[in-house]
Amino acid sequence: MTMYIRTFLNRSGGRRFLPVLLMIGTVLGWAGCDTLEVEDPNAPSPDAVSIQSLVSGVEGAMRADMNVYLQVTGIFGRELYYFEPADPRYTGELYLGPLDPGGFLLTRPWGSRYRTIRNAVILIERAPEVGGAGQKGIEGFAKAIIGYQLLLNLNYLDENGIKIEFSEDITVPFVGKAQAYAEIERYLSEAVSDLNGAGATFPFKLSSGFAGFDTPATFAQFVRGLQARTFLYQGKWSDALTALQGSFVNPNGSMKAGVYHSYSTGSGDRLNPIFEVPTAPSVKLRAHPDIKANAEPGDLRYADRVLDRTGDPGFDPSPPAANKLSSPLVITLSKSSTDPFPILRNEELLLIRAEANFRMGSLSAAEADVNAVRAAAGLGPVTLTSGNALDQILHERMYSLLAEGHRWIDMRRTGRLGQLPKDAVGEPLQPGIVFDKWPRPINEVPEGG
Amino acid sequence: MTYKDFLKRIGVLLLFAFIGTSTVSAQTIRGTVEDTNGEALPGVNVSVKGTTIGTTTDVDGGYTIELPGGERILVFSFVGFRTLEATVPDGQTRFDVQLEEDVLGLDEVVVTGLATSVKRTNLANAVGTISSKDLVPAPAQTLERALSGKIAGLTVSQNTGAPGGGINVNLRGTSTITGSTQPLYVIDGVIVDNTAIQSGLDLITAATGAGSSTPQGQPTNRIADINPNDIESVEVLKGASAAAIYGSKASNGVVIITTKRGAPGHTAINVTQQVGFTHILHKIGTRKFTPQTAEALTTGGADLLARNGQLDYEDLLYGETGLLNETTASVSGGDNDTRYFISALAQSEDGIVENTGYDKYSGRFNLEQRFGDRLRINVQTQMVRSESDRSITGNENQGSTTLGFAYAFTPPFVDLRPDANGNYPAGPAGSNPLHTIQLLKNNEKVNRGIASGRLSYNLFRTQNQNLDVIVQGGGDFYSAEHKVVSPPELQFEQAKDLPGVSINGETTSLNTNLNLNLVHFYATPSNVTFNTTAGYQYESRDWNNVLVQAQGLVVTQENIDQASALNGFQTRLIQRERGVFFQEEVNIQEKFFLTGGFRADASSRIGDTDKFFFYPKASASIRLSSFDFWTSDFFKELKLRAAFGRTGNLPLARAKFTSLQAENISGLGGVLVPTLRGNADIDPEITQEFEFGVDATFWQDRATLELTYYTQDISDLILQNNLPPSSGFANQFINAGDMTTQGVEAGLGITPVRTRDFSWTSRINFFKSWSEITSLDVDPFEIGGFALSLGQFQIQEGESPTTIVGLDEAGNKTQFGDESPDFQVGFGSDISYKNFSLSFLWDWKQGGDVINLGRFLTDLGGVSPDLDTKAGQDRAAGVGGTGRYVEDGTYLKLREASLVYNVGRSKIQQWFGNRVQSLSFGVTGRNLIMITDYSGYDPEVSQFGNLAIGRSVDVIPFPSARFVYFKVSVGF
Repeated sequence: MTMYIRTFLNRSGGRRFLPVLLMIGTVLGWAGCDTLEVEDPNAPSPDAVSIQSLVSGVEGAMRADMNVYLQVTGIFGRELYYFEPADPRYTGELYLGPLDPGGFLLTRPWGSRYRTIRNAVILIERAPEVGGAGQKGIEGFAKAIIGYQLLLNLNYLDENGIKIEFSEDITVPFVGKAQAYAEIERYLSEAVSDLNGAGATFPFKLSSGFAGFDTPATFAQFVRGLQARTFLYQGKWSDALTALQGSFVNPNGSMKAGVYHSYSTGSGDRLNPIFEVPTAPSVKLRAHPDIKANAEPGDLRYADRVLDRTGDPGFDPSPPAANKLSSPLVITLSKSSTDPFPILRNEELLLIRAEANFRMGSLSAAEADVNAVRAAAGLGPVTLTSGNALDQILHERMYSLLAEGHRWIDMRRTGRLGQLPKDAVGEPLQPGIVFDKWPRPINEVPEGG
Repeated sequence: MTYKDFLKRIGVLLLFAFIGTSTVSAQTIRGTVEDTNGEALPGVNVSVKGTTIGTTTDVDGGYTIELPGGERILVFSFVGFRTLEATVPDGQTRFDVQLEEDVLGLDEVVVTGLATSVKRTNLANAVGTISSKDLVPAPAQTLERALSGKIAGLTVSQNTGAPGGGINVNLRGTSTITGSTQPLYVIDGVIVDNTAIQSGLDLITAATGAGSSTPQGQPTNRIADINPNDIESVEVLKGASAAAIYGSKASNGVVIITTKRGAPGHTAINVTQQVGFTHILHKIGTRKFTPQTAEALTTGGADLLARNGQLDYEDLLYGETGLLNETTASVSGGDNDTRYFISALAQSEDGIVENTGYDKYSGRFNLEQRFGDRLRINVQTQMVRSESDRSITGNENQGSTTLGFAYAFTPPFVDLRPDANGNYPAGPAGSNPLHTIQLLKNNEKVNRGIASGRLSYNLFRTQNQNLDVIVQGGGDFYSAEHKVVSPPELQFEQAKDLPGVSINGETTSLNTNLNLNLVHFYATPSNVTFNTTAGYQYESRDWNNVLVQAQGLVVTQENIDQASALNGFQTRLIQRERGVFFQEEVNIQEKFFLTGGFRADASSRIGDTDKFFFYPKASASIRLSSFDFWTSDFFKELKLRAAFGRTGNLPLARAKFTSLQAENISGLGGVLVPTLRGNADIDPEITQEFEFGVDATFWQDRATLELTYYTQDISDLILQNNLPPSSGFANQFINAGDMTTQGVEAGLGITPVRTRDFSWTSRINFFKSWSEITSLDVDPFEIGGFALSLGQFQIQEGESPTTIVGLDEAGNKTQFGDESPDFQVGFGSDISYKNFSLSFLWDWKQGGDVINLGRFLTDLGGVSPDLDTKAGQDRAAGVGGTGRYVEDGTYLKLREASLVYNVGRSKIQQWFGNRVQSLSFGVTGRNLIMITDYSGYDPEVSQFGNLAIGRSVDVIPFPSARFVYFKVSVGF
């Protein structure tokens, strides 16, 4: 290069070109050689963000599309109706089928659970930066959440199984229900052992939804509760009882004690998606008429969660979106748009313990827990017999956990889906189908497979 | 190509410049140049044919030039006039000439590289040009409107009729599916920003979210800020073969704009005042109700009809006659060393909806200064302030927030006018649109400055060689402020948890570019010329958009702190690009013209930012009429041409990034993996084009014909690929498909009559293009629209990408037409008789289907005008499935017309003496006539704004308007 320039200067008499060469040099110097690589100006990269951000991201993302999950499981379990004028599927497809493997009622909750898991996986990858007890705390938190998210998706697909490898390769196979439960158990038990070595505090903060469960020791109580739920679903009664011993189950404590999704009006935060003004002219989420029919007089749980608008002239129990279904019963589980939504409560743990004790033959222990729950609901005690105990426990679960996404799973695992009302929809009326599971999502299965 | 390689090339080029120099004894020739009316022409280029020797005429049209021994031929050329080649008789030293006006643009010079230009007669590409005279015969709010119908292959189509723009410009059909669709705009060498900024209106209409995730704020695009009156010429590089030198940003074509720069001589001052009015172009009409049909629509409707009669809501909403005002002034002039152009524009236009309108204030200062005969500096600056008020129209999901929805769902026998106390009654549709018009604000204010400079220095010049270095740079900065206020008093706000919304958007944008060119010219004694250009270009873009949404406003307050909840959004774009280019143009005795070159580009938007993508080009033309065997007197010129080129379209800036999303849970900030996974290997889309054509001039230079066929192969189409959700992601942009687009273009210009008193020139252009997806690596998919039942576009191998699909009555997926037009025609004429001149331009689009969901809505609301006919009732009952709302979008529009009386010289002298040079009066108009069978407001429509696939979806937009102006123009 310099040779060219020298030759050039010699031959041209030089001076005239010097300023030009300077000019060229200036341009190239200004705009020449620095890299064009630009960092993403709108978002951080996963290896640059703080552990706290990833933890809060996981916690926040757990809430995504839980409203769809609740609406769908509520409809399948015949405890809820959802009259959405903008979407006929809630009163069509979910009663008459065929269930759409590409529809958002399946794919949105399914995808959001795995998205939460992806965030938790990044958290596990980043944990070694912290090291020591802090690392164990991060890993324990992340594994517990992964286990819980997988359980929710397994609840949705049941016998169709889930994917336990979080891969972009569509040919990664589904695993069956038994293997899926084993994987969920593995995540939860590893979480417990990680938490045991995680010291006195987490190296991160959790939201107010985890108040009282925000240290490794207390968070482990929550994980033990999740384990109990997982064992119950599989009929592993004694494992369930063992797990409960490490949980926060307490017959004398508040039924509401437990872990929640929290909501706020803060910028970027989410609002409680199932809250609706209960006295508004149109309310979408309603209780199934059977909920009213089977309610015991004076049951505070029913009174707390259902507003009966029978006879309200400004309210249509069967609007066009109902597709001929009808209910004047408005769900009032969430009291405001920032009311927290339960993940796992003492009330559920008591009923898990009652059921496991009954199955293990301890009727009196079961009766004590059932009556503790009933007393909190303002109801008198019952006497359990081996004949009525399961019916009674499922009845209590129906009202204690109303609209929290349990009824369908309870009826399925006890083989009682056939007892649920079919409900009839459409013009002309067609009897509904009580579905027992979702198909595998279309984007998870290779074409033709 | 590395940096070192590049420097080597420059070295070689510089060395090449030194081959052969000589000096010969010379003779001095003097003379003057004037037009056919005997007026002196300053600034005419005079050169000695086949050499680099040249000069320009002075203020009085005079010139002096040295003729080297043996050379006798002089070439006189000037913009707007025929080029004259004349032999100076031996021994003569005085040589005066007259130049003829070039009404058909036969001798136009066209820019072909980043720093070079070539005569149209030699050009191997079909490049469209529009001169200042033809650009704005009638005022245009925005530049793009002024391009409609003027160039074959150029489709200009507005998205809505709202004031201030929002216009799609397409060159040569579909070239992408997800990528950017707008051409690159280059003004005086600076690439200017043409972003369409979302105002945040979506947050009020909730249009986005249910059914479609595409933003629907119906924004304006920023090329609107240019003052069309400042423009000297517009050149349109339509396809890859012409635009390859712009590399990776040129797949949608390039629009090169040159602003005015003044001419030596008399200081010309021009002032033009236009005032006028605007009103709705076409109403869709409302059903005439009887007591029976009113009662059937609404219980109690018969009583309401008896009490209120039937109101004309189209007239109440869109019936304003808006006042228009445009004042332009310019001062230009200079001498042989200095030229300048100063202009000002004040434009204020009201809309056809009360409280809407568009204002623009612009100032420009252009200066050219020569320092001796080697150095020339040009500086261009523009400052502009524009403001639009666009009200609220189009799609919505909130409760008839938009005027169109309220129109569709308000029975016309319901009276929503305010009572004597000014109280607006509540409307049955969830809103009172008359109240909305009064209170809702949708305002955009833009302050913008564009500046560019060019330094051209002659390194050396001999009789047959010339080497210039040209450094060009500039910047384009604007700040845009959007304010959308929906006060809590409005009916649809009162239905909310937190009534009253105020949205404040702030956008700043800075584009800069810098380029360095070396231009070498070399002529052999046998009249073969070589024009070599090598260069380097660097560009940067920084764009930052901040949007704050406040909900729960305190009554009467708009400030975002006077609210109970706040949400913030921010998007930034940082882009850096670097390119090198080389181009060789060879002109062999005006018979053959060959071009070869390439551009190599690297960009921060591509996965691998160190990777250079090559965009080669090559072209050849043969002027058969320059050969000796050519004897036809009828065909003066006949040229065959062929060209090839490649261009790119960059991936979206976000395509390469896995952008973690913000989460917040009770005050703890978090991040969450996005559903869109970044693709670190994303490449640009590549368009490769072949173009063939014939150009002819015949009938004693009174007619020109240009025929072109082109075929484009677009490869590496960027599409979204679905990922299994169990990965935590939903999709990713990948390069996954190919498409071809072909087309034909024809242009005919004729001057049937040309006498002293009467002249008539007509231009007609015809064009047609068709596209097909040739391969697709992802499953066929639907894109655009809202849902299959409401019409979408199908992307499938072997089909046109603009195929409209929907559901038939049985619920099966069916094709219902194609959004692409069958063909388009533009027809314009200029006729002048004595002092009168008349010009008009018709724009005809044949075919191209529109999904008219506006009619779907008025059917739902029961107000479509034909609902009492069988056809209307069948349609409302669903006969025909989705197809019942797919309509033919054929139209014929009178885009522009003007009738001007130019006061004669003698009269002016008599009235004003020498103080006034010219005076004219006239009537001008835009969008005067629309002939169409389409049942909506205007078949030119796009709910989703500017996008490649998904245009022509009508959701009752802001109706189109007709503009009429009265004009007075004075020159001093």
